Amino acid sequence: MKNIFTILTLLIIMIAGCEPDIENFEPKPGDADFSNYVAVGNSLTAGFMNGELYKKGQKNSFPSILASTFKEVGGGNFKQPLMKDNLGFGNKKILGYQQDCLGETSLAPIPASGTPDPENAASVADEGPFNNMGVPGAKSFHLLYPGYGGLNPYFNRFASDPATTTVISDAMQVQPTFFTLWTGNNDVLTYAMAGAESDSITTQQMFSQSVGGILQTLTSNGAKGAIANVPDITSAPYFTTIPYNPVTLNETEAAQLNAAYESYNTGSTGMGLDSISFKEGNNAMVIEDDDPAYDLLGNIRQIESNELVLLSLPQDSIKCAGWGTQKPVPDEYVLDATEIDEITTAIEGYNQTLNSLASQYNLAYVKISSLMEDAKKGIRIDGVEYTNEFITGGLFSLDGLHLTGQGYAIVANEFLEAINNQYDARLPLVNVIDYPGIQFP
Amino acid sequence: MKKISSLIILMFLFSSLARAGGFQVALQGQIQGGMGLLGTGFLVGPSTLFYNPGGMSFLSNDYNLSVGMNPLISNVTFQYAEPSLYETTTDNPVGTPFTFYGTGKINEKISVGLGVYTPFGSSTVWGDDWRGKYIIQDISLQAIFIQPTVSYKITETLGIGAGFVYARGDVELHKALPLTGTDGEDGQATITGSTANYGFNAGIYFQPSEKISLGLTYRSKIEMNIDDGDVEFDVPTSLSTYFPENNSYSTSLPLPASINFGLSYQVNEKIKVGADVNYVFWEDYKSLDFDFEKNTDVLTDLEQPKKYSNGAIYRIGMEYDMNEKINLRTGFYYDSPVANDEYYAPETPDAVKLGFTGGASYMAMQNLSVDISFIYITGLEREATYKPENFGGTYKYNAFIPGLGVSYKF
Repeated sequence: MKNIFTILTLLIIMIAGCEPDIENFEPKPGDADFSNYVAVGNSLTAGFMNGELYKKGQKNSFPSILASTFKEVGGGNFKQPLMKDNLGFGNKKILGYQQDCLGETSLAPIPASGTPDPENAASVADEGPFNNMGVPGAKSFHLLYPGYGGLNPYFNRFASDPATTTVISDAMQVQPTFFTLWTGNNDVLTYAMAGAESDSITTQQMFSQSVGGILQTLTSNGAKGAIANVPDITSAPYFTTIPYNPVTLNETEAAQLNAAYESYNTGSTGMGLDSISFKEGNNAMVIEDDDPAYDLLGNIRQIESNELVLLSLPQDSIKCAGWGTQKPVPDEYVLDATEIDEITTAIEGYNQTLNSLASQYNLAYVKISSLMEDAKKGIRIDGVEYTNEFITGGLFSLDGLHLTGQGYAIVANEFLEAINNQYDARLPLVNVIDYPGIQFP
Repeated sequence: MKKISSLIILMFLFSSLARAGGFQVALQGQIQGGMGLLGTGFLVGPSTLFYNPGGMSFLSNDYNLSVGMNPLISNVTFQYAEPSLYETTTDNPVGTPFTFYGTGKINEKISVGLGVYTPFGSSTVWGDDWRGKYIIQDISLQAIFIQPTVSYKITETLGIGAGFVYARGDVELHKALPLTGTDGEDGQATITGSTANYGFNAGIYFQPSEKISLGLTYRSKIEMNIDDGDVEFDVPTSLSTYFPENNSYSTSLPLPASINFGLSYQVNEKIKVGADVNYVFWEDYKSLDFDFEKNTDVLTDLEQPKKYSNGAIYRIGMEYDMNEKINLRTGFYYDSPVANDEYYAPETPDAVKLGFTGGASYMAMQNLSVDISFIYITGLEREATYKPENFGGTYKYNAFIPGLGVSYKF
């Protein structure tokens, strides 16, 4: 009897220690070789977030996340031109409290405190070549522009020779076996961010020539790769956060304003144009419009609901300085319907080019445009909903244009899925919540 | 042998009802525990009070007492949906289902008894930082039933019985909130509550011959309603206005009804075999919702669809009278899943579960027996998703449940 009990006890301990076992997922590289990976692109490739390029952001760049997965299937070291600290060139924003002109305190992106290390601007080129060749601000054609380092301080600090080299020639020093290319955003974004008042949209011809040239070089040694397309930038929080009608008025204020615009309305009615009118509640803002149709009306009109107001609009001017009511909102803070159309048409053209180049070079084609389209409705991952809402959406960082660490992880997963499909690979996706999101005070 | 095969045929008749699982813990007696946890038609000791109140008046002794408990060691391994390298295993605490039964004969026809037992419960601890932390970190559901019971022997072959069930339940769960502070820590929600409600357990016991007995029971559904549970949110200061203090919630969790049918057959002097089918009405578990008393733009009510289906458990078991002092038992059961493939929440492991059981009683003294049992449960791999949260993968469950009890009769 004693023996039976001993055996039973041992058996109990043995079986109780047994955790259920599930067969492990086996990563495979498929037809691709990930040993030398180079990432080429703009700020979205560099890991720019919260208005600045800084160390922590770079470490959570999508190429850095991809590289950690590539390591599972023979990927090599991934070197980035890291900033010395988490302040970069000093434009970083954090979430904090801000008092407006009415004395009301609210949660808003505010400048991060601290003094950036002056060494951030110093060249780190001797640590190169670098695997992450993402250069904030770069448009497609900039990547092929010799001496671009002289024009762009972000490239200047890690270009092998700022006065002569191109981003692509430095990228080739890695001798890539695999590359990612995500470009085209700045080709419309710089223009859009200026309210379409300065800079210009890169022409389709220029874009397709540039990307064609870049791909020819990147694939010249037989490298495989993935290219991402351009999302509709006008769905980023930078363009969607401030509504067209943020001005709240009471009945008296509305009546006073209506009286003030009486002569405008007489004129506009005569010209067959919309009049300016205010009512109790929320009101569409009065904006500048340099369209000659409005020349005789002082080049102002009321904004339409399908037009966009930029996040750069100083909100105190709306609240306390009469912008949008007594004074028109300057053109540089608004994208009107025509301008939006120009931008979205250009993006559609770029994406056709990117898609056909992806087929031509047998590259994985990553549809970031679809991802951002889905984000409008919300993307649910492991119990968290990501949307294109500013701050609360979790996808976009505090600059309203670049992504959070979690946003970049979601982008990395899009790349991984496209690579798996294109190259018959089995790369594991990453755990999005392992990466940083928005931090609340 | 012919009889045994007819048992098997009977089991297949019920297979169209297939399916049970959920958070039921059928550990209501060490003797039954050795035999695949059957006992609707197989009369053994005072735990009959739970398994079939109708059989209580057929117990041979005037007074019966038993106490027992089962340390329940369970693990669930989860592997995230492919392609992913993520895998983790729960760190569940040892569960402690227990039983107490006492029965007594008032006269030849009538017996009364009292049972205290824990038929539902679940403690699942995935950890504070696992990948599903925003859905659930850990949950503990416990229910204690107190059941005073009367049984009446209508004839020498037929008995009926019914018990009034007072059920007390406690719940505690934690989940992380995707609201990160400047320290990088998640927000946290803690939900606790307790409640009580009533139900019943009724049964018919029929013993047409010395060798054969049958039982049929119905245990009612008990709705555990919490009207004023505690909920606490720990979030970054800037968001605290969205999570009002002194908040409360109401919720409702059904402990489902079941119909149970079983029989036993005395094969020879030494061997008795039995079989049970439990049909559990899990369909009532449609959703686990938390309706917060104070809502804000951010804090909306929590709706968690479950969409369970009804389920059946098939059990077979046998007892072998080795000698005057020792009885040996063994059994097996098949417990089919009740959770929906697309609404499979990680809080309650659910799969096809196979239970392998063994047990023994040792008559330590004339009236006192020591009963031991052991149960090994292995769940088949299950690939499932909780669609509302887009969280899924492969789950695999196992449990090891030793048990110890003492029975005293006089």
